Amino acid sequence: MAKDKKQSIFGRLFGNRNKTVDVMVEEQIQSPGKMMLNNFLHNKLGMTGVIVFLLIFVFVVLGPYILPIDLGDTDNTQQNVPPIQSMLSVPKELDGNISAISPGPTFGVGCSKDGKVYIWGYTKITDTIDLKDIPDKVKEANIVDIAAGYDHIVAIDDESNIYVWGNRRLGQDRVPSELKGTKKNPVNIVQLEAGYQFSGALTDEGKAYFWGNGNMCDVDVKKQYQGHIQKIAIATYNYCLLLDDGSVVYGGVQKDNAFTRIPENLSSGVVDIAATGETMAAVDEAGKIYVWGNSTHGEKDVPESESRPVELYGGRYHYTALMENGDVFSWGDDSHQQADVPAEVNGAAIDTVYAGFYQNYAVDVNGKVHTWGLKGHALGTDNMGRDVLTRIVNGGKVTMTVGAISVIISLIIGIIMGGLAGYFGGKVDMLIMRVSEIVGGLPFLPFALLLSAIIGSRISVELRMYLIMIVLGVLSWTGICRLIRAQILAEREKEFVLAAQAMGVREGTIIFKHILPNVLSILLVEATLLFATCMLTESTLSYLGFGITPPTPTWGNMLTGANNSIVIQQYWWRWVFPAAIFGVCTICINLMGDAIRDAVDPKSIGR
Amino acid sequence: MTKYILKRIGYLFLVFFIVSFLMYALYNLIPEDPARNQLEAQKKALKPEVYQRMYEELREEMGLNDSLVVRYARWMGLAPQKQTGKLDGLLEGNLGKSNYFKKDVIEVVQGPIGNTIFINIFATILALGITIPLGIYCAVHKGGKLDNFTQVFTIIGYSIPIYITALVFIYVFVVLLGWFPIGGMGTPGAEYTGMKAFWDKLYYISLPLIVMTFGSLGGMTRYVRSSMIDALSMDHIKTARAKGVKEKVVIYSHAWRNALLPVITLIIGWFLGIFSGSVIIENTFNLNGMGKLYITALNNHDWELTLGIQMFYTVVSLIGALVIDLSYGLVDPRVRIDK
Repeated sequence: MAKDKKQSIFGRLFGNRNKTVDVMVEEQIQSPGKMMLNNFLHNKLGMTGVIVFLLIFVFVVLGPYILPIDLGDTDNTQQNVPPIQSMLSVPKELDGNISAISPGPTFGVGCSKDGKVYIWGYTKITDTIDLKDIPDKVKEANIVDIAAGYDHIVAIDDESNIYVWGNRRLGQDRVPSELKGTKKNPVNIVQLEAGYQFSGALTDEGKAYFWGNGNMCDVDVKKQYQGHIQKIAIATYNYCLLLDDGSVVYGGVQKDNAFTRIPENLSSGVVDIAATGETMAAVDEAGKIYVWGNSTHGEKDVPESESRPVELYGGRYHYTALMENGDVFSWGDDSHQQADVPAEVNGAAIDTVYAGFYQNYAVDVNGKVHTWGLKGHALGTDNMGRDVLTRIVNGGKVTMTVGAISVIISLIIGIIMGGLAGYFGGKVDMLIMRVSEIVGGLPFLPFALLLSAIIGSRISVELRMYLIMIVLGVLSWTGICRLIRAQILAEREKEFVLAAQAMGVREGTIIFKHILPNVLSILLVEATLLFATCMLTESTLSYLGFGITPPTPTWGNMLTGANNSIVIQQYWWRWVFPAAIFGVCTICINLMGDAIRDAVDPKSIGR
Repeated sequence: MTKYILKRIGYLFLVFFIVSFLMYALYNLIPEDPARNQLEAQKKALKPEVYQRMYEELREEMGLNDSLVVRYARWMGLAPQKQTGKLDGLLEGNLGKSNYFKKDVIEVVQGPIGNTIFINIFATILALGITIPLGIYCAVHKGGKLDNFTQVFTIIGYSIPIYITALVFIYVFVVLLGWFPIGGMGTPGAEYTGMKAFWDKLYYISLPLIVMTFGSLGGMTRYVRSSMIDALSMDHIKTARAKGVKEKVVIYSHAWRNALLPVITLIIGWFLGIFSGSVIIENTFNLNGMGKLYITALNNHDWELTLGIQMFYTVVSLIGALVIDLSYGLVDPRVRIDK
């Protein structure tokens, strides 16, 4: 039964209308309202507009709940990333054949047991540097360990030769001479790490060396620790060391920073250390985890675990711990599901985990890789590393709200002014029409820019949004005013008004209760079209930088700065998606307005 | 007709003074004090009391303590300046001094004004030259292939904001096809003269022109078409056809004259729109016109320059309205008689 009903609605909307109908049915008198509705529902183009617009509307109304926006959020590791989903796609060749994996900001690298290097994800660093261009020397060598930094990759072969490729600025390829062994006296590297702008290596003699941007990163190692180091852990600019006596120390020369304040209990019995971008963590023999540093994304909120954690791995803002029984748990930042361990991982007897940035790769005892974390950005990211999809969803909400409220403001002003002018006529009409002519005669865009510049510079971002709504509303009521006035002039002469007057109905009531409902349908058309215009104007103002300013997104200000050939060509996702959804949205609103007009005024069909 | 024209011109002046007064009042909301600015350099060298006295004197001298109306009259050039005692305001051609360019506003504006008018005249000719024949054709061949295509195409044209059109056109014609330069007003470093300079300029502004034309095609074509359909459905058209008047004469003489009236009304809005619309185009294509200058002035808080440009836009819109009104009277005899 319900299914039948559904089909009939669908059939009414899109089905064949040329069915033969009973004469009685066809000749039946329809009320004007029903006729309008029928006309409207049978306008295919208009209905398509309505449906698409409703879809977009639901998308921007519900979207922000699914993809909430953090206005302060910028991420320099995710700038200008195209829409790809391959950041976690480990090549098949590595399945069961992994010797090491290292996740980078938007890519992953791995080497197989036969010494081959594989790279996946988005690897372009600049116009000229692409990490996919693996140097020939590396291709020939038998790579045993590999580490990915922010924009460079470090690898070692079985003879402990170090290779660096990617961005080599700031001494990222200046490998210390101590790490270059001779044939007589070879240096065996046991651990290789890469951070934001520096890299580090640990030899089997317990000596650690760091190189890279010495101005930003604390790359020197205190002499007293050399020879006793068991493990190194690298944060964005700093590192910490696990010594052979089971203690954790801050190895650098900086006297006092968030990392030097290591918890007291960590002077012995530590089994593993790890670091995120801004924090460091250690786990002791009892399985207790300590976190210190600048915890910004809940890195310090270590969850309770059933088993004893034995190994720790750090991403950019999250940690992953491997437990004694082979289970894995993650905590910290979960904005890209990097702390959401999939159910299949637990119970798969995980052997080791490679975590970094927003990705996790867990390898089980059979060599199978389980991944979780950031796969990619559905619509790419902008120049501040913000997700374009999130901004489109939230920007749409802002754009539509501003459009709707400005339409309401101009409707209120327009109806009152037009109603008064049309009904009273004479001097009132004269005055109101002159005022509306002056307001309508103001050059719209320059004037709106001016108001926004003069008043907007002195108020907060949020007030500025209301200012834009008011400016748009106050400047665009004249059309509605003129329309209402003309309609009322025509309606005023009709008999029902005379009847109402004869009955002693108050004038205000006559205007707003007796006359206005007759004008409502035309008003609806005008309001719909004005809604599109207001959205366009808001976006234009924002595009020029005088509307709603970032970080609040709107469809207009997402396109600010897109008018240069680099963005247009290379970062196409930054303008194509907002422009497309905005274009489709305004087209649909206009289609809808046209359809309503055709329904209300059948004479206009075909115009 | 003379009475009608005089009436319109009188009304135009009234509106001009009201609008300019509103603008001037608006600018006076800006918390900026020229007297303080002038004395700022000496502030440290002076004692507070002396500074305060000098400041008060300067304010009095500059006429800042007078009422808004008096200051407006001075700025407009209707009342004598306090310092010189002469009429020296907007009506005498003095628009003030630009803070940012350190020049008289009138000098700053000279170059860009020419460019903007140059671009807009071309855009107007192009847009009218395409939309009117197209609209008439679509109305006459209603329901035909070209008509249906135009109906769909134009709704896209007027729904999409012009800067998005510009981005798409840049992508297609500059990035993909490489037919046009991306922005600017002429080949950098080249010093052409005469016709060569003209062609060079035309080459550089051709893409902006195409975008502007495309942007105005949508609304205009639809409007021309619908008013032409209305005109064609009138009784006198049937009569004319029944008499055996040639179809061309029916369309262009009987119908078009009637369709022209609503079209002219639209052109008011559109003509103003194209001038303010060029703010976007000039900024997107980096053209040295009034729109770009306006944004520069706003961004640098150069208020006197902004006010000057704002007055330019106002005058353009008023003159536009006047021209349209007059042509309305010219086309429709009823307007002349009634008013």
